[in-house]
Amino acid sequence: MTKESPIKHLVVYADDDPDDLDLVEEAFSQYSVHVDLIKFQNGEEALDYLRNHLHDEIKPCLIILDINMPGMSGKEVLIRLRGMDRFLEIPVVMFTTSSSSKDIEFARRHKAGFITKPLDISQMELIAEKFIDHCAEDIRKKIRTEIK
Amino acid sequence: MTIFEFRKRSIRQQAAILYKHGVYIGKRSEDGKIMLLYQLNAYYVELFYNEYRKHIHWIGCFESTDLLDPYLENMNVADLVV
Repeated sequence: MTKESPIKHLVVYADDDPDDLDLVEEAFSQYSVHVDLIKFQNGEEALDYLRNHLHDEIKPCLIILDINMPGMSGKEVLIRLRGMDRFLEIPVVMFTTSSSSKDIEFARRHKAGFITKPLDISQMELIAEKFIDHCAEDIRKKIRTEIK
Repeated sequence: MTIFEFRKRSIRQQAAILYKHGVYIGKRSEDGKIMLLYQLNAYYVELFYNEYRKHIHWIGCFESTDLLDPYLENMNVADLVV
């Protein structure tokens, strides 16, 4: 009899900075049994994946977008996602070097969270928790229970 | 906050101020070390990392625009044109 593997929750992350992609992957590693992090280095690829390579029944539990990316910015990806019914309610977090009130307001208007990229270890240690805070309550509880 | 007041703060306090009020300008690397540059009020602040986004080795600040060159060289001007 084979042991049933746990259902993984899908987190999609787009950022043009490979160092930040690695850091977030490292931050999520403690949840790797239950969370699959899929990384993209630009907005176009992330949007293409979300739009064309996911079945309707598989939805990410969280989408993380850097704002400043060459080509399609995170803001543009967010606008396009919110224009599609199937992504209207999916939690999105803008993860950016910005702390500008204009960017925060933009995220709020498009029903997205906003996290400024950490500068030191005290902020970095909490980053995976901050991301998971944006997931739906049932998924949040599941991920946190499963890690205990 | 003036550059003189900023310099008097601890690295931890400086990082907290930058996190909240700094405007990110760019990133560069040298000898395997990563540096980030921010603008704060009328001066610039450069973070030198031992370990990127984790352990800050040193924070320097300056007013001269000459020191921006290494960051400007890494910028793709085409990305700034909408």
